[in-house]
Amino acid sequence: MSVDNAYAVELKGLTFRRGARTIFDKVDIRIPRGKVTGIMGPSGCGKTTLLRLIAAQLRPHAGEVWVNQCNLPQLSRSELFHMRKQFGVLFQSGALFTDLNVFENVAFPLRVHTHLPEEMIRDIVLMKLQAVGLRGAVELMPDELSGGMKRRVALARAIALDPQILMYDEPFVGQDPIAMGVLVRLIRLLNDALGITSIVVSHDLAETASIADYIYVVGDARVLGHGTPAELMVSEDPQIRQFMQGIPDGPVPFHFPAVDYRSDLLGGAQ
Amino acid sequence: MSEAQVNLQGNCLSLSGVLDYTSGPQLREQGGRLLRGLAGEQLQIDCQAVSKSSSVGLALLLAFMRDAQAQGKTVRIVGLPEDMRQIAEVCALDECLPLGDS
Repeated sequence: MSVDNAYAVELKGLTFRRGARTIFDKVDIRIPRGKVTGIMGPSGCGKTTLLRLIAAQLRPHAGEVWVNQCNLPQLSRSELFHMRKQFGVLFQSGALFTDLNVFENVAFPLRVHTHLPEEMIRDIVLMKLQAVGLRGAVELMPDELSGGMKRRVALARAIALDPQILMYDEPFVGQDPIAMGVLVRLIRLLNDALGITSIVVSHDLAETASIADYIYVVGDARVLGHGTPAELMVSEDPQIRQFMQGIPDGPVPFHFPAVDYRSDLLGGAQ
Repeated sequence: MSEAQVNLQGNCLSLSGVLDYTSGPQLREQGGRLLRGLAGEQLQIDCQAVSKSSSVGLALLLAFMRDAQAQGKTVRIVGLPEDMRQIAEVCALDECLPLGDS
């Protein structure tokens, strides 16, 4: 049983495999309530998989996922449907519905999960779009938006139901510096003003370190280390140092395992 | 969790309990019905007894303001709790809400 109210999410002994490959091996992670927590690690280490496990889109092979006193792998489908209203997810792609305009994209979760009358849905959609600075874009279609605007619309949709936990999957990827700055400011504002617990999965070190209160570094199917950004920056652990300081070669080798270079090029010829 | 309610006494509409996606539709309907019998020139909306609110609480205030406006009444909102204030601030609603002293 999860008893510590200081944590919004607790992963205990979490194990997840894809085929023969172990993605997570008995991982323990605690996400502090009301804070911004960064989950960092090299590309392909399973960060997005971790988000999907927290959102109960995937079932772990072993271990527990506690969210608000509920162990998600033990919930029924209908219990999970209600539990998911507590989560907002900003997907890496934005994942807007391309056939719906901005208004309908943000209204979508309100129409699916509530019985609010149309006038109140309109109020809430306009409020959320105002918060991300895009109320004026309400009638535009997704293909009329820039990449940064798409992500802000997706953020308005992610907060439509006032989630307690907001998860961001690589929010900074492919964003220009201005859009990146806007997102950083929004993530912090929503977290602090609305008391949301934010989980930011990212490999963008500078941006994540600038907003995260706490960071977990994952890799090799486990937690390599965790701490405040300042603590991790001065870590002596070789794997943490390599990641935090962007050193190309180290415990995570620059080269993917390969046969000997010389024999690959020259074969048996001497 | 306290049950959500809306009541009208004189020209004061008071909201109480938890204002969320579950209680919102019924509160909107009840409040709208109560406001049809509103007397006087001014409506006061009292949120002092709201124990918790999501964005739905703000949407309710806007809906009741529209009802009053349609009857040519002026509106004053009092006792806005901290969580509603914060949502109003993030969504820049503070400039639209006629906030008075509680």
